[in-house]
Amino acid sequence: MKIVLSELRKGECPPLLDLCIQKINEDIDKYNSFSMLPRDISQLIFNNLVYSRRLTSVSLEAFRDCALQDLYLGEYDGVDDNWMDVISSQGSSLLSVDLSGSDVTDFGLTYLKDCESIISLNLNYCDQISDRGLECISGLSNLTSLSFRRNDSVSAKGMSAFSGLVNLVKLDLERCPGIHGGLVHLRGLTKLESLNLKWCNCITDYDMKPLSELASLKSLEISSSKVTDFGVSFLRGLQKLALLNLEGCLVTAACLDSLAELPALSNLNLNRCNISDNGCKKFSRLENLKVLNLGFNVITDTCLIHLKGLTKLESLNLDSCKIGDEGLVNLAGHKRLNCLELSDTEVGSNGLQHLSGLSNLQKINLSFTMVSDGGLSKLCGLSSLKSLNLDAYQISDIGLSNLTSLTGLTDLDLFGARITDFGTNYLKKFKNLRSLEICGGALTDAGVKNIKELSSLVCLNLSQNSNLTDKTLELISGLTGLVSLNVSNSRITNAGLQHLKALKNLRSLTLESCKVTANDMKKLKSIYLPNLRRMEKRPQIVHSYNNGFVEAVTPRVLPSLLLLFGCFVNVHNGKELCKDVFATAYSRW
Amino acid sequence: MKKEDTVKLISAEGFEFVVDKEAAMVSQTIHNMLTSPGSFAERQHGEVTFPEISTTILEKICQYFYWHLQFASGKETEFPIEPELTLELMMAANYLHT
Repeated sequence: MKIVLSELRKGECPPLLDLCIQKINEDIDKYNSFSMLPRDISQLIFNNLVYSRRLTSVSLEAFRDCALQDLYLGEYDGVDDNWMDVISSQGSSLLSVDLSGSDVTDFGLTYLKDCESIISLNLNYCDQISDRGLECISGLSNLTSLSFRRNDSVSAKGMSAFSGLVNLVKLDLERCPGIHGGLVHLRGLTKLESLNLKWCNCITDYDMKPLSELASLKSLEISSSKVTDFGVSFLRGLQKLALLNLEGCLVTAACLDSLAELPALSNLNLNRCNISDNGCKKFSRLENLKVLNLGFNVITDTCLIHLKGLTKLESLNLDSCKIGDEGLVNLAGHKRLNCLELSDTEVGSNGLQHLSGLSNLQKINLSFTMVSDGGLSKLCGLSSLKSLNLDAYQISDIGLSNLTSLTGLTDLDLFGARITDFGTNYLKKFKNLRSLEICGGALTDAGVKNIKELSSLVCLNLSQNSNLTDKTLELISGLTGLVSLNVSNSRITNAGLQHLKALKNLRSLTLESCKVTANDMKKLKSIYLPNLRRMEKRPQIVHSYNNGFVEAVTPRVLPSLLLLFGCFVNVHNGKELCKDVFATAYSRW
Repeated sequence: MKKEDTVKLISAEGFEFVVDKEAAMVSQTIHNMLTSPGSFAERQHGEVTFPEISTTILEKICQYFYWHLQFASGKETEFPIEPELTLELMMAANYLHT
């Protein structure tokens, strides 16, 4: 999508075409029709209006018969059936349509019948579309990509419409709870490469049988469904299947027999399954795996023995498994490993020695492990390391002093570590840091003096350090690359906000529980920081949660989050809920 | 102003605009016409005719050329565009890669 003017750097002259588009954007009500313009120009005007959120059902009329190709109206306010007439007037020029989150109904979809060239259609979160709407699109046989996320109404009956979409390559039905029995209609879709059925908790073993005929299938996601080992056995013939996501399914190590017959399988997600040491010997047969997620399973060091031969592994997730120091010896030969997740395991300092030869390791998560300051010296030779998570209470300044050779670090998470002002002296070595979190509470303005030198920083979280004052904002006012800043629960006041004026790239500013008024933050945004998209002074949950499961939680999505909570508490006794700020923030709500 | 430093831009109605070469070359299309190898008539005579661009629009285009040079030298003013010209101006700007 073309972004006009805002992308220009200082001194760079805006092209005349962009100036005109900007001008039209400002006076859109003065234009009745763009149909005399070449298609690519009216497309630019359209995109610009959508981007700036100035397109309305009234101004849309000017785009009638413009032969537009792409209408990306996902999550756009006010889109409903009244928009469909102009949309369909683009006729056979129309190639991509995104109406996600709109109020378009089954009736509205009838307008798309004549747009037979459409190759990509996105109807995620359209609550008013049901089986009857699917009928309307059953003739769009050029479709290669169709997305229908979170639709409660679509049922097996309606899915018969899919059988005509013979060119479909990608189908996304994530969170459709009523599609049990409908996958039989996909049998003829021999070009289908990617099928997303995540969170369709109605899907059972019975639904897996028709999938066995989809010979082109490369990616299948059935996490949080009711599929068991028996269901997985139907997938055995899928010669091209490279990615299989079984997260949260009721499968055991017994399914590994079936998986071993998938020659292309390189990416396997078994997070939160019922995998135990029992039968885990079979892992040794999955020697083509590059990505393996075994997080939240009751596996021990015994299981890791059988991963020893999987030397093609590039990413391994063992979050919250019962593994310890001895198990890690089996990973010492995994020279291609670049990402290792060991959060919430029993791994301690002794285990780290087995990792010291993993020269390709770029990312390691050691949060909530037993690793101590002294153990960190084993990591000092990992010269490829870019991302290091040491969110653990026992880590202190001394630990940091052992890491100063890791000058390539770009992401350092010391959220709960006990870093003091003295420790920040060591940070000066990390000139490439883009993201830094120090939230242990012991930091004062004096420590921030060392942080102000880190000119590459994009994300900075210094929340929970209750002694930080406005001086902190003054000190970091030179970090002009900052996009996200969090100094919550500090002594920041309105008076300090003036120091943020130079941070023109700032898009997210979080100052919860500070002496800052909403009004002053608004003023700061309107006068100095037009890029600011999110300002929070109320408690806000923004934390990367296991595997990005919950990336950013805003008040808007809280209701669905609570729903998730319900299911977590049931399945996992709420153990992991208590593990980080996520839970703290939740309790404040 | 030496003749070789200028170029003549001729509108659909035959109206002639004599502008600095440096200004005209803000347009990538004109730049290519005046610098590409071979003996294009445009290059030889320092003249370019635009049978599709009206006098009003070509005048506006020439104003933009000079505004562009000013902008590049640090004088960042706003370039005025009359709403009734916008659509035609866009088509010309698109053709001229401006």
